[in-house]
Amino acid sequence: MEARIGVLICDCGQGMQNIDFGALARQAADLPGVTSVNLSSDLCLDEGTKKMVSLIKDENLDRVVIAACSPDMKEHIFRDMLEKAGLNGNLLSMANIREQCSWAHDGEVTDKAADLLRMAIGRVRLLRPVEHREFPVSTEVLVVGGGFSAISTALRLSGVGLRTTVLESEPVLGEGAGEKEDLHGLDRGSMIAAAERDGNIDILTCARIASVEGAPGDFTVTMRTDGTETARKFGAIVLATGFRTELTPGPDALIDARELCSAGVVSQEQLLGMLSNLGLEARPAIVGFLLDLADENSRFTTLATLNNALAVKSRWGSEVYVFCKDVKVDSEGTERLYRETRECGVVFLKCDSAPEVTVDNGKVRVEARDVFLGDDAAITCDLLVAEELPFPVQETEVLGSMFGVRLDSGGFYQDENVHLYPVDSERKGVFFVGGCRGNWDIVRVLTDVSSVVTSVCGLLCPGSIQVDVEKVRVDPQKCVACLTCIRVCPHSAIQLVRVDSGRDAAVISDLACDACGVCAAICPAKAIEFEGYRDDEILAQIEAVG
Amino acid sequence: MMMDGIIVAFCCERSGYPAADLAGRLRLHYPENLRVIRVPCAGRVDVIHIMKAFEMGASAVVVLGCEEGACHHMTGNTRARERVRYCDTMLREVGIEKRTAVMVNISPNAPHKFVTAAVETSKILEDLREAR
Amino acid sequence: MKAESRSVLVIGAGISGISSALELASAGFGVHLLERDAVIGGHAASFPCKATNICAECSACVVSDKLREAVQHPRIRLLTGSTLKEFRGEPGDFRVRIAQEPRYVDGERCIACGLCTDICPTDPKAICLPQADAVPLIHVLDEKLCLRSKGKECELCRDICPTKAIEFNRKRREEELSVGAVVVATGFEVFDAKKKGSLGYGRYPGVLTGLDLEHLLRREGVLRFPGGDKEPARIAFIQCVGSRDEGHPYCSHVCCKYAMKLAALIRHRSPDTLVTIFYIDLQTAGKGFARFFDEYKSDIRFVRGVPVEIMQAASGELEVKFEDISQGRVRRDTFDLVVLSVGISPRTDSWDLARILGLDMADDGFFDTAPSIGSNDTSVSGIFLAGTCQGPKDIPDSVAHGAAAASRVMELLGVPVQAGG
Repeated sequence: MEARIGVLICDCGQGMQNIDFGALARQAADLPGVTSVNLSSDLCLDEGTKKMVSLIKDENLDRVVIAACSPDMKEHIFRDMLEKAGLNGNLLSMANIREQCSWAHDGEVTDKAADLLRMAIGRVRLLRPVEHREFPVSTEVLVVGGGFSAISTALRLSGVGLRTTVLESEPVLGEGAGEKEDLHGLDRGSMIAAAERDGNIDILTCARIASVEGAPGDFTVTMRTDGTETARKFGAIVLATGFRTELTPGPDALIDARELCSAGVVSQEQLLGMLSNLGLEARPAIVGFLLDLADENSRFTTLATLNNALAVKSRWGSEVYVFCKDVKVDSEGTERLYRETRECGVVFLKCDSAPEVTVDNGKVRVEARDVFLGDDAAITCDLLVAEELPFPVQETEVLGSMFGVRLDSGGFYQDENVHLYPVDSERKGVFFVGGCRGNWDIVRVLTDVSSVVTSVCGLLCPGSIQVDVEKVRVDPQKCVACLTCIRVCPHSAIQLVRVDSGRDAAVISDLACDACGVCAAICPAKAIEFEGYRDDEILAQIEAVG
Repeated sequence: MMMDGIIVAFCCERSGYPAADLAGRLRLHYPENLRVIRVPCAGRVDVIHIMKAFEMGASAVVVLGCEEGACHHMTGNTRARERVRYCDTMLREVGIEKRTAVMVNISPNAPHKFVTAAVETSKILEDLREAR
Repeated sequence: MKAESRSVLVIGAGISGISSALELASAGFGVHLLERDAVIGGHAASFPCKATNICAECSACVVSDKLREAVQHPRIRLLTGSTLKEFRGEPGDFRVRIAQEPRYVDGERCIACGLCTDICPTDPKAICLPQADAVPLIHVLDEKLCLRSKGKECELCRDICPTKAIEFNRKRREEELSVGAVVVATGFEVFDAKKKGSLGYGRYPGVLTGLDLEHLLRREGVLRFPGGDKEPARIAFIQCVGSRDEGHPYCSHVCCKYAMKLAALIRHRSPDTLVTIFYIDLQTAGKGFARFFDEYKSDIRFVRGVPVEIMQAASGELEVKFEDISQGRVRRDTFDLVVLSVGISPRTDSWDLARILGLDMADDGFFDTAPSIGSNDTSVSGIFLAGTCQGPKDIPDSVAHGAAAASRVMELLGVPVQAGG
């Protein structure tokens, strides 16, 4: 059936003096399928759109081209206009004759405007409607991990009414590294107790994920506990698997810290234990700290060092020396803490290269070139608190691969892509929080937890997600199940499904698809159609250029 | 068939397209022979689209995607870059010396970079034309 | 449930306020987004992309994306030129009175065609777009520049406006709103570098602030420097100007990174230009930065020790006096351009807002946080903080903090969990 195309040209209140609109309208009218050409000055305003709705109905138009300002400005208004006129909102193609034509060039640009109009008309002929649908979603949330971030997230999600399952691979919660400090009145023990009591939170220990499939609002997670596998549905998944630390061997000058344990090289946690157990009689007279020498990401070790150095001063009154490169003060309250620490008599030795650490008569000798003294400083410590480097846990890579999400250059979630920050992954409905994504200082961890709560609520609380139905679709007749699109989809939106007896084909999930079209480009059988950006729709624009 | 000197620019809707809009809003001028085709991601652009443009007479094809590391779809821009390189190499292999395919990485708020891309591609075409 | 408790007031439409507003709107809340200026986006909207051949993760593009979403979202009601006048009530049922300055150009009707600006007889133009990429893209008439406020009869813009969007008889208006919660996202002020007189800002044309450099880049697209006809060959960045000092006992979080990203950009575009960064402690922690730092650190000269004095020589060159710690003596190095990495300061008008809302202020002049979950709560139940008005943050942290404030609103007012599938 011959298309009935309406061409609506707007001169934006005569703000485009270098286009001959009369000529433009005449050229449009001559093109096949163009039923009606209308020129106006205020298409996007109420009165303008009302007139167009009538025009569309009166002329029985079945698709519309609008030549005006950039689609980024008013396309949403024009799609609404089509819907009001009884047409599917997708049957619209726009020609950007303002920002990308009239305003971009000196002199007469009617020819270019005509080209852009012809391109839009060539495309609109081929457009097909795309329907919308509300997809009901599961309001259950899975939180993977059992540390501070995981428990905190679970408690808060439960608080807003979302049933949450906490999945921990160890037999008990709270064993992970980091976030051990009882700060901000957050007692880890009572948080775990609260989670255990909470009727809205299910805790599964000694449990691992065997597989995950599905889309936001509709994930199916197969969990393995005690050798049995159970599949459950979740609307959103939060990965809160934490991180681990290693006392650093560090570059060249530092000896493997583990070997020095007996000589008095300890971790921050071991120091805290000693502070509780050792009285003044047994106290180490000289305590050294190594900080920011082996890793730039030392915000959390800076906080620990400052707090613990103060504790050493107040409990033992020892001499305290901190060997460091730079003090990382870009967290809330850290600068003040740094000043307080120095005022208490803690000495900071700034070094631009790693110090030499040796064992000398059963004590630990640290020698470094102090930048400010311009000379070597050597301190023989009774106790040396070594630097701790953050590392991802083994699960991070395993789950990352299972979920189809990329890691950053340190092996943590998430890809170093600003558009994902703070807590998103490239797989909609899957989020990261806290240590496993590279935030280890308490303020940022708490903000992460809040951000995840916001994102999950926004996704699930409405109870349904609006989707475009089959905007990007695999034709099962053409699909050869080569799996290329499945491997290539950045959003894990494609699955292999049995379509009829014995045959498998790729199927794209409307919920998970982010409409990028990478699959459509790569499919070797050209089996994937992306409504609005199909090959023929793109080629039609190219062919229309004069 | 296209007029001589046409540059077809595939602009990703998150980067190149808004940058072009911004150039217009700032009234920054660039050569008129540019024709923008909007795509959802540079990764949507296929070899067949680029080669079709040349078949229809385009002098140059530019694909504009997000900066490396900032693609909303992770690697769409990298895929596009590979395809552009492939097409440019193909042109040389079949003996077409005076046309070119170029990949440009750009941010949505970088109108000057858009203009530079347009202007420099025109210059490249001129140089190719002069060359013997 | 009362309708009011499904509405939230967000004060400030910078990146943090917008982040809060978008999250709340997605969850079904109606948002009144209050902004004092005619445009939204705050400081973050004025920064340029700093990509070299890879993304520098400066997040300027994140801001662009969110601005557009905010202005098109059906549940976000944008009130520009507006400030808060009165506040009373209880969480879940606050009554606020806002005042909106007269907007002579109707936002619903302006199509940004620019005809009014073309015809306006004054210089500078009394009616124009605040900037070419303003969001919302609506012209603004500045009373102070307009001939009408000087008693002249001029109706040129109104007559030429094709959509009849201009109306002169507009008055300041006030409106009462009922909301369930308030998010304060009023942002920061940039430290005034003139306060450090010995650094020569405002006296020597070759001394700029980091913000000046960002604006210059965004506007011009190229690194064209003021004064001189030759390209600057030697550029210095001075860190911690207005941070980590007596009046500002905090680190501003952003300066080391923006200085390094600007330095990398300069080196990328002009490999012959030498860049020096004078610093106290280099802040390089945080996601995504290590890779960038590894690539560019050998490209930049880092000097420990922040200079205290800059003098301009007769040649126009700038002499920077600093203590060379490695040699233990005072030195003067010469540069063509010096960039002062100015820090984030609390807004001086925060005190007015604090008074209206009953909020506590912290010693350093930022809004005080009440101990609770995270750092968004205040001493007033139902009022939450988002972004730099609570303390210095970079753009990703500001976006996260705004999203976090939204979670606190949701936990207070409740988000009805609809039966799912």
